[in-house]
Amino acid sequence: MTQLIINGLIAGSLAALIAGGLALVYGVLGVFNMALGQMALIGGYCTWWLHQIVGLSLPLSIIGGLTIAAFVSWIAFEIFINPFYKRHRFLPLVTTIALSMILDGLILLFFEEKPRAIMPGVRHSIEVFGARISIEQIVLISFTIMLMMVLAYVLHSTAFGRKVRAVVQHDHAAMSLGIRAPLLHRFLFIMSGVLAGLGGIYLGIDQNLTPVFAFPITIKAYAAIIAGGKGNIWGAIVCAYLIAILEQLVVGVHWFGSFYVPAGYQQTVALLFIILFLLFKPAGMFSTKTRSA
Amino acid sequence: MDFIWHIIAITCMTIPHALAYNLVFGKGKILHFGPIGVSLVASYAVVIIAISTGSFIAATLVGLISVVLLSLFLAWLSLRLDQDAFGVMTIAVHLSILAVILNWNGLTRGALGIPGVPRFSFLSSVQSFAIAAAVVSLLFVIALRLIDRSSFGRQLQALAEHEWHAKSLGINRTKVHVIAFLVAGLGALATALLFPQYLAFLHPNDYQYPFLVFFITIIVAGNPGSVYGVLLSTILLTVLKEALRFLPLSSAVMGPVRLILFGIIMLAVVYWRRDTLFPKQRSI
Repeated sequence: MTQLIINGLIAGSLAALIAGGLALVYGVLGVFNMALGQMALIGGYCTWWLHQIVGLSLPLSIIGGLTIAAFVSWIAFEIFINPFYKRHRFLPLVTTIALSMILDGLILLFFEEKPRAIMPGVRHSIEVFGARISIEQIVLISFTIMLMMVLAYVLHSTAFGRKVRAVVQHDHAAMSLGIRAPLLHRFLFIMSGVLAGLGGIYLGIDQNLTPVFAFPITIKAYAAIIAGGKGNIWGAIVCAYLIAILEQLVVGVHWFGSFYVPAGYQQTVALLFIILFLLFKPAGMFSTKTRSA
Repeated sequence: MDFIWHIIAITCMTIPHALAYNLVFGKGKILHFGPIGVSLVASYAVVIIAISTGSFIAATLVGLISVVLLSLFLAWLSLRLDQDAFGVMTIAVHLSILAVILNWNGLTRGALGIPGVPRFSFLSSVQSFAIAAAVVSLLFVIALRLIDRSSFGRQLQALAEHEWHAKSLGINRTKVHVIAFLVAGLGALATALLFPQYLAFLHPNDYQYPFLVFFITIIVAGNPGSVYGVLLSTILLTVLKEALRFLPLSSAVMGPVRLILFGIIMLAVVYWRRDTLFPKQRSI
């Protein structure tokens, strides 16, 4: 059981990064980015290429991977989001589906379908409460928690964070007070792309990167956002961990004696989670009422 | 010559599903991203029953029942959820169905697919498939044109343009959504009856996410809601998709190139139709 919870924490850290960025974008722009999984993989694959093929050190490769993720996010914003999201908020839902196809094609062309690991080889594992966990995984979990703390500080204790929260609450009112909302929109979209890219790098370090991971990543991030209350960043992060732990427990435990859920159904746990939440609590677990006047 | 018959067969098999989906996504402006999921259920239901019982009547009946149930479920969801949540939910339903099919090896053979799909006795050659599919397509074009011009078509359009105003005029949203989803389901069933028989093979890879993008591109390019526009875009885009085979590229390159090309086409047509795809509601 401890092993399953640790596995859930590892998977949850990856999902929390991606869902956190996505929740911020949804809260501010009202845009569901359907290409988020592919953007995560771009970050991971570029880091793999810089580290394994070009031969750069791991820290430099990660910085390079994140820079490319930021650049791709910026281009994506200018071409697939900016011309559409002010006309109708459903248009980017369709255009980002097109973006996901294009990125899928580019990933297959440049990196092929083979599994790619950023750090292949033996892991240095230690035992915690009877469960095995590698040093790399401890670093990943600790770094995510640290990053979330920095994000919390920036959002709640700095002038920039207050501007972001003002735009989240009311775009036009914030602009009338002199906040440059369009610039913040662009910045937050790129930020969400960088967080997704970081998630992809985690994936490439902890497991192998393959193109088929893209949609499960996107769907899990959505499950977390919907369950956490759309636009609520902390709700999304808590639910990302919750879904990841639930996924491990559902397929890892023999619930009724000899009965168990086959591992192939693991990704449907997140989908069932969305379905149940949308049906019985459509506003999400941590939704808050907003003022309309 | 066989290639031309093949193009006609593939195009005409796509038309019923595309036109019926157009009723929901194009005319109704309902963010339904699960048409391939409906097609997947219909195809597996028909093929599994046809193989196990040897009766096409039983297979069609079971296919119809499964499509009706899934369409009713989707219609119910569309009534309960916000538009964007419904869009994500339908993708989730599609992926869940796909996961079940890939993992239920005893029934579906999982990723191996089902070979040796039995055929109707009158469908023995490519020509016969093309003619049968053309007849079915023609029936769907006529039926959907009639629906489009009927009071139901106007009700669906009114709900898409301004839901509250439409409701205040007495339009029953539940009834309109249920009918629209059932028609979309019937289109999926028509395609599901012919397509696996034509290939003589049913494989989950033929029902993956890129096919959804292909359908959305068809609807947006053909002018959402327009029967003849979507008919024309189905023909042109299917021919383009099949013609890509002639490019001198290896199969490892062809797949990604096709994804990129259709992604770009989709972006271009959404940009072109950005004012009409989801028009802004008038407030005064």
